[in-house]
Amino acid sequence: MRDPRVARLGELVVSYSLGLQPGQIVRIDSAPVAAPLAVEVYRAALAAGAHPYVNVELERLPELQLAFGSGEQLDFVSPIGIKEIDLVDAIVTIWSETNTRALSRADADRHQRLIASQQRLSKRRWERMASGELGWCGVLFPTDAHAQDAEMSLEEYERFVFRACHVEEEGDPVGHWQGVRDDLGRRAETLTQAREVRIVGPGTDLTLGVEGRRWQAADGRLNMPDGEVYTSPVETATEGEISFAFPALYHGREVSDIHLRFEGGEVVQAGAGRGGEYLDALLSMDDGAKRLGEVAFGLNYEIERFTHNTLFDEKIGGTMHVALGSSFDDLGGQNSSGLHWDLVCDLREDGEVYADGELIWRAGHFLEQPQAVERV
Amino acid sequence: MSDSRLERLADVIVGYSAGVKPGELVLVEGTINVEPLLNELYRATLRAGANPITRVSLEVSEYLLTEGSDEQIEWVNPARREDVEQPDVRIVIEGAANTKSLSAIDPTRQALVERSRAELRDRYLERALSGELRWVLSAYPTNAGAQDAEMSLAEYEEFIYGAAFLDDGDPVARWRAFSEQLHRVVDFLSTKEELRIVTEGTDLTVAVGGRTWIPADGHENFPDGEVFTAPHETSAEGEIRFTYPAVFRGRQVDDVRLRFHEGEVVEATAARGQSFLEEMIGVDDGARRLGELAFGLNDAISTFTRNILFDEKLGGTMHLALGTAYPECGGTNRSALHWDMICDLRSGSEVYADGELVYRDGRFLDV
Repeated sequence: MRDPRVARLGELVVSYSLGLQPGQIVRIDSAPVAAPLAVEVYRAALAAGAHPYVNVELERLPELQLAFGSGEQLDFVSPIGIKEIDLVDAIVTIWSETNTRALSRADADRHQRLIASQQRLSKRRWERMASGELGWCGVLFPTDAHAQDAEMSLEEYERFVFRACHVEEEGDPVGHWQGVRDDLGRRAETLTQAREVRIVGPGTDLTLGVEGRRWQAADGRLNMPDGEVYTSPVETATEGEISFAFPALYHGREVSDIHLRFEGGEVVQAGAGRGGEYLDALLSMDDGAKRLGEVAFGLNYEIERFTHNTLFDEKIGGTMHVALGSSFDDLGGQNSSGLHWDLVCDLREDGEVYADGELIWRAGHFLEQPQAVERV
Repeated sequence: MSDSRLERLADVIVGYSAGVKPGELVLVEGTINVEPLLNELYRATLRAGANPITRVSLEVSEYLLTEGSDEQIEWVNPARREDVEQPDVRIVIEGAANTKSLSAIDPTRQALVERSRAELRDRYLERALSGELRWVLSAYPTNAGAQDAEMSLAEYEEFIYGAAFLDDGDPVARWRAFSEQLHRVVDFLSTKEELRIVTEGTDLTVAVGGRTWIPADGHENFPDGEVFTAPHETSAEGEIRFTYPAVFRGRQVDDVRLRFHEGEVVEATAARGQSFLEEMIGVDDGARRLGELAFGLNDAISTFTRNILFDEKLGGTMHLALGTAYPECGGTNRSALHWDMICDLRSGSEVYADGELVYRDGRFLDV
């Protein structure tokens, strides 16, 4: 049976997120379990006159590679895979797993080595994306495993996901997301005027420098769902402390109750309730891992619940998040690292944010609607 | 649960059929229905010290063929050209969720697919011929396959594993012995100029002198068991009636009868599926001529399953293919089509080689 919500999501990704044009080649990366969405994206792309194809990635292969691969085999990158990146106009990544913790017990060094070789493949992809030659959108297809992480039934979780994407009900999801684009675009322009942002909340008083950095709206084109505005803060300016009420996940491992203290942009003290060793290991991955690569406001108010999945959690309306590690070149960021780890801070109860000393946000909401910035 | 026979199947395919060597690039290909075997092949390839890459697809042809434009149907994915160019080994696993999902598709649209794929297929065969690329085609037991074979899934699994000699203590040794037997048949047939096949509804003469006979001993198909050649393109004379339904891309044509003159089909009839038969024969000029003639010799395959991978190896049968010939046999016929059709010779049948009776009721007499 065709689920109309899945059909609407496929159509939304093709026509809004990617804006596929006739003749464009689009690769749909999907796990077997996400076949229903892969098929809908495929059909929507056909209807748009594009040349779609589905590239199924079997879920157990990384586990087999880690168990049986030699060092050389872990380092191997498919020459076809590299060439293929140059042949496509767009990629849709469907995130979907039947077990989100399958690699929890894998040898950490070997896993790191495998991730590094996968990054050699994704490097070319990021280059082409950055230059605008390659379109990309990441979208999640709900499964029991993701529902389990979110502590929901599959049916409940499906409603959660489809609501976050604004496809749960019949209607005009494309129109909705165009509205989001306008709104967040103006918000980003306003924030780009700021020199300094101060975040105050439970266990949190953190000041970040953002002068000369551009804020960007995440408006459903690169991720679906979406809804945040973000930038890369000045690498040496972060001062103070921040507490994260939500547990933080990295490659399926969880660290809870993280508390960080910054001086001169660098983490000088780090504590955690659970997973402290893993936190320390990630912070010492390389020089850049101790500095912030991102600061952002979560603005999708159709996402209210924490679900142990960054795709949704970082967009929860009324939260802020910062990421340790690599920053965004195109926004003015200069931090480089193998890490990019989003940590979400709930500000919905009694958080405040000041821009250049002025209160702009309280208890999860901006105080004023974004104004169009006059261009000189 | 991992099925240990599946692991054995993967080990034999990687170790014996493909003979994967350390450092080789091995492309493992199939749909999501065959995921358990793809996982095992991936594991076996890693253990052999080679680099596996997977090419896993969804069955979306139905949407392409019903909702796509002609231009979209004819589009050949440039990335898949690399799949033909780069690997040292290509292992393809079939196993559909529904072998009849394309039954209602307009045959002219299907023919469009055949034509657009011909170039890739030719290049693939060219690399295989020059020895740059080794390939293996095998099958994973699915309910759809079992249904076509009119078996339960458990029975069909037994059938496939039996045909692959996996129940033998040492399947690889068994395949080596079978290979020697097939080589003896090939040596015998290689001395013959002309074959005449006679059974009910069939009296067909073809010239094979100078053409190369090849033993299919589990390297390119698995399971396997036939000897085949490419007959002279202009030599077929007479008629043949195929006892088994002819199945091509999920479409079945029953009781096919072909009359040949100077190598070309001059009359083609079927009790069912006549228009599909005509459509396929009309794909191009080469589709009207024979590309292959073969004898099925795997006695562990004794029932018809509607899957050509198994059926053409049925012990005691022969088959012909309309369309493209294997160049390694010396064949020159080229076509987008290669459609195998099988004729049971297990009773009331004779084959003459250069006028001498050499085969009767499913058995070679002196080999």
